[in-house]
Amino acid sequence: MKYIKQVLGGDLRQYTMVLALGVLIVIFNIISGGRMLTSSNFQNLISGNAYVLVLALGMLMVIVIGQIDLSVGSVAGFAGMVMALVAKNYNVPWWCAVLIAIVIGILAGAWHGFFLAQLGIPGFITTLGGMMIFRGGVIWISHSISVPAPEQLKWFGAGYLPEWGPAFTGMNNSTLLLGIIGIACYIFAQLKKYKHSGDGTGAKDPIWAVVVRIALMTVLIGYFTWLFGSGRVGTSFPVPGLILLLLTIIYHIITQRTKFGRHVYAVGGNKAAAALSGVNVKKTYFLTMMNMSFLAAVAGILFVGRSTAAGPADGTSWEMDAIASVFIGGAAVSGGVGTILATIVGGLVMAVLNNGLMLMGVGADKTQVIKGFVLLAAVAFDVYNKKSGKSSIIGRIFSK
Amino acid sequence: MKKRTLLSMAMVATMMVATFAGCGGGREGATETAETQTTETTEATDSAAEETTADMPGFDAGATIGISLPWLGTQNWKEAEEMFTTQLEEAGYTPLVQAADNKVTQQQQQIESMIENGAKVIVVGPVDGSQLGSVLEQAKEAGVYVIGYDRLLENTTGVDGVVQFGSVKTGELQAQALLQGLEEKKGDKPYNIELFGGGPADPNAPNFFKGAMSVLQPLIDDGTLVVVSGQTEFTQCATVDWDNAKAQSRMDSLLSGFYSDKEIDGVLSPNDGIARAIITSCENAGQDIPVVSGLDAENESVEWVWQGRQYSTVAKPTDDLVKKTIEIINSLQAGNGMPSTDVTADNGVIEVPIYELPPVVVTKDNAKEVFANDPSRLDLLK
Amino acid sequence: MEKDSLILEMRGITKEFPGVKALDDVNLSVRKGTIHAICGENGAGKSTLMKVLSGVYPYGTYDGKIIYLGEEVKFKNIKESEAAGIAIIHQELTMIPELSITENIFMGNEIERKGLIDWAEEKRRTYEILKKVGLSINPDILIKHLGVGQQQLVEIAKALSKNVKLLILDEPTSALNEADSENLLNLMVELKNKGITCIMISHKLNEIAAVSDDVTVIRDGHTVESYPVEAGKVDEDRIIKAMVGRSIENRYPEHEAHPGDIIFEVKDWCVEDPDVEGRMVCKNASFNVRAGEIVGFAGLMGAGRTELMRSLFGKNYGIYRGGTIKIKGREVKLNSVETAIKNGLAYVPEDRKNLGLNLLDSIRKTIVSADLDKITKSGLLDLNDEKKAAEEYRKSLKIKTANVEAGVTTLSGGNQQKVVLSKWMFTEPDILILDEPTRGIDVGAKYEIYKLIHQLADEGKAVILVSSELPELLGMADRIYTIFEGTITGEIMSSEANQEGLMKKMTITSN
Repeated sequence: MKYIKQVLGGDLRQYTMVLALGVLIVIFNIISGGRMLTSSNFQNLISGNAYVLVLALGMLMVIVIGQIDLSVGSVAGFAGMVMALVAKNYNVPWWCAVLIAIVIGILAGAWHGFFLAQLGIPGFITTLGGMMIFRGGVIWISHSISVPAPEQLKWFGAGYLPEWGPAFTGMNNSTLLLGIIGIACYIFAQLKKYKHSGDGTGAKDPIWAVVVRIALMTVLIGYFTWLFGSGRVGTSFPVPGLILLLLTIIYHIITQRTKFGRHVYAVGGNKAAAALSGVNVKKTYFLTMMNMSFLAAVAGILFVGRSTAAGPADGTSWEMDAIASVFIGGAAVSGGVGTILATIVGGLVMAVLNNGLMLMGVGADKTQVIKGFVLLAAVAFDVYNKKSGKSSIIGRIFSK
Repeated sequence: MKKRTLLSMAMVATMMVATFAGCGGGREGATETAETQTTETTEATDSAAEETTADMPGFDAGATIGISLPWLGTQNWKEAEEMFTTQLEEAGYTPLVQAADNKVTQQQQQIESMIENGAKVIVVGPVDGSQLGSVLEQAKEAGVYVIGYDRLLENTTGVDGVVQFGSVKTGELQAQALLQGLEEKKGDKPYNIELFGGGPADPNAPNFFKGAMSVLQPLIDDGTLVVVSGQTEFTQCATVDWDNAKAQSRMDSLLSGFYSDKEIDGVLSPNDGIARAIITSCENAGQDIPVVSGLDAENESVEWVWQGRQYSTVAKPTDDLVKKTIEIINSLQAGNGMPSTDVTADNGVIEVPIYELPPVVVTKDNAKEVFANDPSRLDLLK
Repeated sequence: MEKDSLILEMRGITKEFPGVKALDDVNLSVRKGTIHAICGENGAGKSTLMKVLSGVYPYGTYDGKIIYLGEEVKFKNIKESEAAGIAIIHQELTMIPELSITENIFMGNEIERKGLIDWAEEKRRTYEILKKVGLSINPDILIKHLGVGQQQLVEIAKALSKNVKLLILDEPTSALNEADSENLLNLMVELKNKGITCIMISHKLNEIAAVSDDVTVIRDGHTVESYPVEAGKVDEDRIIKAMVGRSIENRYPEHEAHPGDIIFEVKDWCVEDPDVEGRMVCKNASFNVRAGEIVGFAGLMGAGRTELMRSLFGKNYGIYRGGTIKIKGREVKLNSVETAIKNGLAYVPEDRKNLGLNLLDSIRKTIVSADLDKITKSGLLDLNDEKKAAEEYRKSLKIKTANVEAGVTTLSGGNQQKVVLSKWMFTEPDILILDEPTRGIDVGAKYEIYKLIHQLADEGKAVILVSSELPELLGMADRIYTIFEGTITGEIMSSEANQEGLMKKMTITSN
């Protein structure tokens, strides 16, 4: 067990959710007779949940600064509706409509940011107002009628990467290329980390652990590359998934590797101490809220693309799904704690649960009940662990 | 530190790979040449429309049939759920009936999981007829037949036909019933009336209204009917989400705003729930009950019609609709393709074949006849 | 003192916290109908003693006996001591700002009739009690609309409403302006005349001198002396000597100062309390610091030292009401903490856990947190540089931890303080403000921090050392300013200073 610990690198508590995700996938795959782990199902899983996960990225940062944003669903719906209406009524090119939607998202975020940062109105209230304003706005401008979206947007919401190159690979070559790039990046990052691991302390990670790590990751990425790439001809890793992947990487870097990211955690962890360390608390609040609504607009665009039309009820209760993902990913209600990657895992747990129950033919009513219990269980488990200071069950298994 | 999270995913996945390698995708086109792959990809969307009319192969008699309903919150949908389950089973199919809680996302994912579950035909009663485009096309590409149920599927090439009651016709029948009632009950003209429309997101709603107005408009123009509020546009009269409460509050404000010194004689209502909301509102306002039309023959409204509180309803027997749908499924199963029909509708992208069924007006006079074969509703007429 | 005239006798009270003996065999005797002053330095054990008395620390968690009104009492909680007629007015007011005076006074003791609150009766009584403390205001006014002085009086009124026999006032005037303070002292005398005994905890000698009948001095958890005095004729020097008492041991490393030019100069700095309108927490403060010099600021808690420093550090506290700052001879406007840091200022706050650290962070992240630009390369943080920097400080400051990835909460107080110091040394400041840098730190770690301060001075940095421990200032600083009620009351070279002299200037307005 000690060796496993060395490969994974010490703190095992963070793997609880990842393990839960894996177990869920395996269990559903068995119960559904192998229908879970298929190319088309995973393609659907990703493109059907990309918009919630995009929202969760922004929501993580909002929750880390100790706030909450209830308006994201309404802002997403509003931005999507404006985009569809502009494209339909004013004959502007589709990309221009997309830009307008994004600008609307940013403006909506600036609005929330202004009330939170400058006037000090709590995010809960500010965005509760925003939720009503933008939901009303959608219904107002659409007259409650769905509006078809530009054809090209379908590629963003439900499209696939192009087919090219030799057929003997037995896969969509775009997906294959993506997988190879992923593996290469991982190996590069691991080697770089290994090189620096001895800096200061002089205790280098054992080389075998690094090798095992790389091997495991190669198998994982390889498996998913194959899973996504070997579907029906013309399908691949879905475009919304690629957008989500890029955003995840970007936001992972922003939160972990930039000054702004550090400030987000500092403000959430201890506002007064952050202010005394030279952090501009108001600016951090403002930018975080603005970013959230920007991502809401992106989510709205992806959803409209997939639905081929913007509807008056788009975005209803999306905020709740996003918030649930963040908390299942282990973020703290009091702020300061949580990571992008854990949030994505949290969102995937919800998505897999939804998908698996649906494959089994469980109704929406029961699915909702089960999701509620999972959310409570995940957070209760986290709180219990923090309170008792014990490592998780997983941690205890590996600790000997 | 973050990389380790990824890493642990690796671990889990490796375990899965060990257990489940082989149950994944498996690419059908793997042996084909590169050329055919490229052509297929580029034409995938364009050719979808043509495929509809092309060769339609049959399938196993015991195949899975997916039924995706918008929700189970009203009687007709609950009936549809039960009838589809029992009647498909009787016909030897494996039914997979799900309802989407009135959420578009939920329905999209449900349809995907039906494709995943190997359904050969998917019958879709959409939450929003225009927001299922890409999932339905996906079904089409997977070789699944898609039949719209009760509501038009818009903005997509992925639909083979729609079974519904003629919605314009329904509107005409509602208006005619209203006129008949006014003459019977309210004596001499002119009559004061108000108009209500259905949920704007439902493509049927404007059609009901259009049908009704084709009958009413000439009479409004010659002064037989007076719309006191002057609200005669669909957008003015629409009831968002078919929400009874919204209809009731609109009626409340119409009565207090325009009828403080007038009698209201009749109200065009697009369905039974809204009809009851309107009647309740009139009763609360101390008005005599006006002549109100309806739709769906919900149990409570059937009782009200029998008691004389609601003048009429229109029955769209769910049974007929389900039977017609299963008839089409049988035809597809046998390899005979979609039955022929003269009616088509433009869904924004293609002309969709429509299988229209005639609705039936129900008033107190003919209720016993209409429900002669419907014991549960017949019970209400006592 | 005759036994029967005593209202309270505490005998041999000993109270231990893990690792610390806060009270060691303390005795206190209070005569009926007197004002009894308890004096001592910060942390001497005054508040702990009062908490023992009022049942905050219940019977059984301390050793010793409490005899109240001739009987031994064993309070399990505040409710019991209140029922016996003992009430404490805390330094921080404990009323609910959004409720009215009446509601606050009867909070937890509501007068009920048939299960409902009898508002008329409550208001009538409130009105009466308010008159007793000299307030004639509408009992329906919300607490938040009252000034601090009035709130204090309402707090006392609340105690009176419970038929109090022994009233304990913990630093009652620390948040009040002069007029309110005087008003309060007068009220205490009035209450005494009505037969209510008061215990006043204070280190403002002029106040003690004005009203008290007996004085008990506590130092380091021991009773030093206890004797009756005549109001108005108190020997302040005797109290100061008793308060300071201990000799300066050789707890401070040797150091030879080499002061350079003046690099930090403050003139007429004025700051208003952000919560209490019109109350100035700093009045025309002017001082300077030379490069390589350690300048001490002596003042008791609430004297305005922290407020002054935080205000200078990018106006982080209070409302700026005038004054200028010159750094290296050039006048600068420091309107945000960020600009203050950019201009070479660093501030180590006194409240480490609430202001100095993000307790969720690791050591590594904390150390670089005040100057992230330094490890930023083309927009991204260089985590290897970060780790190197953290390791460097871990070694040079001997931070006791296995790994810089560990959370700061895993460290002892002394090591936490080293992390905070590292964080500010990482910004390479010219002027370092250290606010109580050794509070809550054990002796060994203190010595290391002292050496570090010397090292910083030797590097040519200007160091401002704020402390309420006089020996520390005398041992460490080259020059000392005293501060009292927001005013700088004196400046003295530490070679010429002694504790008694400093304490005098820290406790008496220089007029």
